[in-house]
Amino acid sequence: MSDDLPDQFDLVVIGTGFIESCIAAAASRVGKSVLHLDHNEYYGDVWGSFTIDGLCDRLNKETGAHSTLRNCSYTWHSSEKEPEPEAMEVQGEQKWNRETMLAKSRRFSLDLCPRILYSSGELVQLLIKSNICRYAEFRAVDHVCMRHNGEIVSVPCSRSDVFNTKTLTIVEKRLLMKFLTACNDYGEDKCNEDSLAFRGRTFLEYLQAQRVTEKISSCVMQAIAMCGPNTSFEEGMQSTQRFLGSLGRYGNTPFLFPMYGCGELPQCFCRLCAVYGGIYCLKRTVDDIGLDENTKEFVLSSAGKTVRAKNVVSAPGYPPVSRDIEMKPHISRGLFVSASPLGNEELNKGGGGVNLLRLLDAESGREAILIQLSHYTGACPEGLYIFHLTTPAVSEDPASDLVAFTSQLFDPTGAEIIFSSYFTIATQSSRSTAGEHIYYTDAPTYELDYDAAIANARCIFGKLFADAEFLPRAPDPEEIVVDGEDPSALNEHSLPEDLRAQLKDMQQATQEMDIQD
Amino acid sequence: MEDYKFLFKIVLVGNAGVGKTCLVRRFTQGLFPPGQGATIGVDFMIKTVEVEGEKIKLQIWDTAGQERFRSITQSYYRSAHALILVYDISCQPTFDCLPDWLREIQEYANSKVLKILVGNKTDRDDREIPTQIGEEFAKQHDMYFLETSAKEAENVERLFYEIAAELIGQARSKDGSSAAAAAAAQRQSEGSSIGLGSFSAKAAQSNCCGGLAGGGGGGSNGSNTSHTG
Repeated sequence: MSDDLPDQFDLVVIGTGFIESCIAAAASRVGKSVLHLDHNEYYGDVWGSFTIDGLCDRLNKETGAHSTLRNCSYTWHSSEKEPEPEAMEVQGEQKWNRETMLAKSRRFSLDLCPRILYSSGELVQLLIKSNICRYAEFRAVDHVCMRHNGEIVSVPCSRSDVFNTKTLTIVEKRLLMKFLTACNDYGEDKCNEDSLAFRGRTFLEYLQAQRVTEKISSCVMQAIAMCGPNTSFEEGMQSTQRFLGSLGRYGNTPFLFPMYGCGELPQCFCRLCAVYGGIYCLKRTVDDIGLDENTKEFVLSSAGKTVRAKNVVSAPGYPPVSRDIEMKPHISRGLFVSASPLGNEELNKGGGGVNLLRLLDAESGREAILIQLSHYTGACPEGLYIFHLTTPAVSEDPASDLVAFTSQLFDPTGAEIIFSSYFTIATQSSRSTAGEHIYYTDAPTYELDYDAAIANARCIFGKLFADAEFLPRAPDPEEIVVDGEDPSALNEHSLPEDLRAQLKDMQQATQEMDIQD
Repeated sequence: MEDYKFLFKIVLVGNAGVGKTCLVRRFTQGLFPPGQGATIGVDFMIKTVEVEGEKIKLQIWDTAGQERFRSITQSYYRSAHALILVYDISCQPTFDCLPDWLREIQEYANSKVLKILVGNKTDRDDREIPTQIGEEFAKQHDMYFLETSAKEAENVERLFYEIAAELIGQARSKDGSSAAAAAAAQRQSEGSSIGLGSFSAKAAQSNCCGGLAGGGGGGSNGSNTSHTG
């Protein structure tokens, strides 16, 4: 392939993880010239999704002290036992083992860092605002679950859920509705004496003062507010409201999962970057980087080619650009593939639910997030289930970090688990000051949604291009086609500032007219 | 809400400079932009056609230049109903790269996707690949074949209309052996995809959502599945 790469860029981005892709898209969108590189042959780095083959290859790769991924292991479990008779009732059901799974390797999208999206959370809002949403599809999470008396049960989310659930008694239903309504209204009436008294105390104290039953308390603490005994009242209120604010938008629960895995998301941002002229080179390493003292530009050499850049953004784990960053364990991950789902039939209607379960370890006070995926997410073939287990790392041994949680769920060596793997996601041990003015993105942090990741991207973008808007709405293709050569779509960048503002006003006016229709 | 019975996603691949963007623009806008470089800000184009009395909306996606260094995102191939692989009949290297493209298609695209091989630039008089060679290659790899000229508007309409007709046929047969039929059948099952744009009761029921359409778009970019009125 001829290397007709330009040699001058406003921004070179190294690594195609979520945060890097977000920055690349934002820069390209406001007219900056962007070169986006990755030494991997796939998008996403540790934010990517992998086939079974691909995951094993990635886990087999030697990892150094500066790598984001480490302590990797995986095991295939061979089942001696025949599947139980009732599992055979579906006609022509596939028998799953190492061979049959590898034969369908391409049908898997296995995330190293899976996330769940709040339906009106930061990421969903950003995707809509920027129009990047057109590149992605989502699956609403079927059930938010909790463990109660050793069983996995669904937590009622919506109003109708609360009324229909068999988990709660009628009195409990009333109490829960009353409590959630109070949380929802909190903040609108600041003088509410009832809640004022709890400022500075814990959320649990507030909850107990509402005289809720133990079961409702579990629902709220484990699944809705997702907090611990020491969480402050304000914080608990905030996360409860976040949960409630995402209800009723797309599905039964407030959560979404990207179809085909979270690895699709960085790719969506990369696509937007490319649509606005960003240049993409996978399988391309940077061999050397230096600063030209005269021009204050970075000089990068890659595959015998020299490129000059005004700014450089890099993910950790991409030497030589990010060579001196110390990494320490941050997230311990377990990834399991099973032939049977967790929980009862109710939680797995129609061939398997996409379920979220927050687990607690009473002894240590630690928590873990479990995401169960079925074929409805496009992340695995029908009849298989993926269990993603994520917990903050306390050691360099992910399996031992997770044993308190896996033991609550399944026998990790049991017959139903076909594949299991463990690994650690590492992060920078100290926040690196932008050495030599290279901006380093954060490694994935422990969070349910992408809030911290977006904040990191926004922050770096703000330092790079202080006056530019972060991911303004990209025009719809239909706006281009309808009028043939629609100036808003094709030449927006070449328009002078005042005309652009005018155009925006006009668009707004048109939209308002539409609404009146 | 626009009135159409089916929506199909068509994606184009092939080496840089073979005329993918020109084919799309010739078809959707009737234009042939001469000497045009990489297209900026154009993502996919839409044209509604009528085949056998049915209104069909075609969403035609371009590579956004990511083919230049062989870095097309996997998500580009997702949920495509048809895939057009283009080479330049006056440029042997673009033909020689076809096996590489097929490997990528095999890896990333739905195995049931409708595949069409297109030899573009028949207006050129320095042809390097005889029609028969292209035809044979297509036959070998189970693809439809057509030669076109985006410049002279030759066979361009025919290309897209034939794709539309074929996809409708597949969607109607619903035998599950094609991407279009699978999409049609899927709509009735629990696993269907719908646009996140409309916070409709329907969305809440089926628990699965397509693209999160932007505010004010009025469902114009919503669902990735065919739409039965």
